Amino acid sequence: MATLTAENIDFQAELKQKTAKPLLWVALVSIVMFFTGLTSAVIVVKPDGRWVSFDVPSLFLYSTVIIVVSSLMFHLGLQAIKKDNQKLATAFFFTTFALAIAFSVSQYYAWGDLYADGIVFSGSNLAGSFFYVITGLHLAHVVGGVISLIVVLIKSMRGKYSSSNYLGVQVSITYWHFLGGLWIYLYLFLRFIA
Amino acid sequence: MSTHHHAEPDFLFKYVFSTDHKMISKQFLITGFIMGFIGLAMSTLFRLQLGWPGEHFEIFDLLLGSWAEDGVLAPDKYLSLVTMHGTIMVFFLLTAGLSGTFSNLLIPLQIGARDMASGFLNMLSYWFFFLSSVIMLISLGVEGGAASAGWTIYPPLSALPQAIPGSGMGMTLWLVAMAIFIVSSLLGSLNYIVTILNLRTKGMTMTRLPLTIWAFLITAVIGVVSFPVLLSAALLLIFDRSFGTSFYLSDIYIGGQALEHSGGSPILFEHLFWFLGHPEVYIVLLPALGITSEIVSTMSRKPIFGYRAMIGSILAIAFLSTIVWGHHMFVTGMNPFLGAVFTFTTLLIAIPSAVKVFNYLTTLWKGNIIFSPAMLFSIGLVSTFISGGLTGLILGDATLDINVHDTYFVIGHFHIVMGLSAIYGMFAGVYHWFPKMFGRMMNNKLGNAHFWFTIISAYGVFFPMHFLGYAGVPRRYYTNSEFPMFDNLIEINELISMFAILAFVGQLFFLFNFVYSALRGPKAPQNPWRGNTLEWTAPVEHIHGNWYGEIPEVFRWSYDYSKPGAAEDFIPQTTPLAEGEEEH
Repeated sequence: MATLTAENIDFQAELKQKTAKPLLWVALVSIVMFFTGLTSAVIVVKPDGRWVSFDVPSLFLYSTVIIVVSSLMFHLGLQAIKKDNQKLATAFFFTTFALAIAFSVSQYYAWGDLYADGIVFSGSNLAGSFFYVITGLHLAHVVGGVISLIVVLIKSMRGKYSSSNYLGVQVSITYWHFLGGLWIYLYLFLRFIA
Repeated sequence: MSTHHHAEPDFLFKYVFSTDHKMISKQFLITGFIMGFIGLAMSTLFRLQLGWPGEHFEIFDLLLGSWAEDGVLAPDKYLSLVTMHGTIMVFFLLTAGLSGTFSNLLIPLQIGARDMASGFLNMLSYWFFFLSSVIMLISLGVEGGAASAGWTIYPPLSALPQAIPGSGMGMTLWLVAMAIFIVSSLLGSLNYIVTILNLRTKGMTMTRLPLTIWAFLITAVIGVVSFPVLLSAALLLIFDRSFGTSFYLSDIYIGGQALEHSGGSPILFEHLFWFLGHPEVYIVLLPALGITSEIVSTMSRKPIFGYRAMIGSILAIAFLSTIVWGHHMFVTGMNPFLGAVFTFTTLLIAIPSAVKVFNYLTTLWKGNIIFSPAMLFSIGLVSTFISGGLTGLILGDATLDINVHDTYFVIGHFHIVMGLSAIYGMFAGVYHWFPKMFGRMMNNKLGNAHFWFTIISAYGVFFPMHFLGYAGVPRRYYTNSEFPMFDNLIEINELISMFAILAFVGQLFFLFNFVYSALRGPKAPQNPWRGNTLEWTAPVEHIHGNWYGEIPEVFRWSYDYSKPGAAEDFIPQTTPLAEGEEEH
């Protein structure tokens, strides 16, 4: 068995450079299909006739605005890294992180509003159950995004990124933009179709 | 292998938490085969009940204990055995066992890569699979027994814990195991796709790739597209079971009392399940077809006929597989017009399938055929793909399907076209690439005996099932002795069961050959089958990174067998084109 040599380590770094983004893209395809399955399920059962529609709490609109702004902040952070302005980048990353938390909190309170309106997860109101499941599973994916944001933030504070080394930021930002886009689709879907 | 200074940590990372694709491939193979052997044994046991219903068997006492009081298999445990047999064979043997083994072994070796895109994710993929296998096996021992709603786990049997004994803890563990399995499968697919697209060696263009690689690539793509939908279906089912939602439940009465659930639809589950379920057939089948393409060409000493048509047909099958799921649901009250659409899309699959069969036969035609066990199993696959595919035309047509729906006709059909074809492809792959995996040769005589035992007994099992189906014998019943109209069919069931026992015995040849050859078989030469593909340019001993020195460069496709004007009947892909030589 050959052992790990310096040459091997170089190879590993090159491998990462070559494969990190494509791996993420394929993963995103599978996440898209996951939510396609869920939203198609809504389309399949809705015409059954026992669908109880309700108004979507306005807090979900605020969530939408928050996640769009957070994506913008993340983008500005990446631009700053490309110009080697690490302090500015860290500030933007921190703002993104704060907005991500704000998004999660806003979702939580929006559920509270739903609950107060008598829309609960369990029971026989499929419209309500689907609403919680779809928004909940989106939030579960957001948690993954927040974890990657924390990693980016810590690395950025330690000055690990530069204009020649920002693959980690790119991977994280792609995922984060994706989550934003996914949320906009889900929000519109739940609002107008369900 | 060089000497080791630290024996123990080496052992742990070399054999257990390995990130090397060759070791992970062996881990998948052995775990898959253990699961497959358990699944096979289960089927032999419930065939005893079906052949001789209600009979006392010592072996039940011995192996099943409380599942068979006084040596008679309990009806609810029969359902558990049937369900677990299907689940284990479809997912654990033919999905993870097949793709996990050969995608892992062959992708880096045949495209000329040091390893997978991410060794770490690859390792995770195996360990999720292992965990899922363990949980699935544990579910056999819980109170109420393992899941019993059939491998398709339709609600409400699967959604109401109180429905049947197997709907309790056994079903919960089934769902947990499958959720983990799906994660494993997705991690594997991610790696296969990215490795093939990004890490090919110099000169390895997409149209020089061996067809194995094309098959693994498209298999992985189908997996990424369809498994997440099964995951969403399983999650909704878990919510129905444990959190009081009603996604799949409505208007259900137990003991005259209506359940509180309403508004959902069990048909919704069928839609979501079969959106995976049908592509799953091709997740199982395409790798086997890819392996066959490679072996048929190598062992006929002829280039594969219609290389581009083969790729086109794989793509066509993959696309069509995602728009045919409704043919599993013709009797769910589906709109007849929609049924006609699904019939049409389903029958279209016959075209690319026929292209593949035609190309196999024309490749074999006038070849210098070497009947190695791998070649025999490949030809066996072509045979089952035809005989099982033809009955698919009957089941794909809504008007015909309704007559034989949920009968033994369906069991006969899918076992031949999907089960046998895929396992023959897997056996072919093991015989062919065993020298690459273990550095030793398998015994040909035992391999031949294994093949003839298997093909005769397997046809003996599944062919008569079509007659049972035409007579209307329903699938999944514990016994048909209550129905006088089936009384004169009992001898067919006895015959099937005898062949099932024979098929089981036949696999012991393989088991012995596999274990003995891995330990004591004659050492393999570097290129035992005189093949063209890159894996035969790698050293016999397994080294990290696959090749000493530079990765070989590729100058031609992998099917230059018996090329006119060449000195030998094979030209490895690493041989540059001669002066004035044309590429294929």
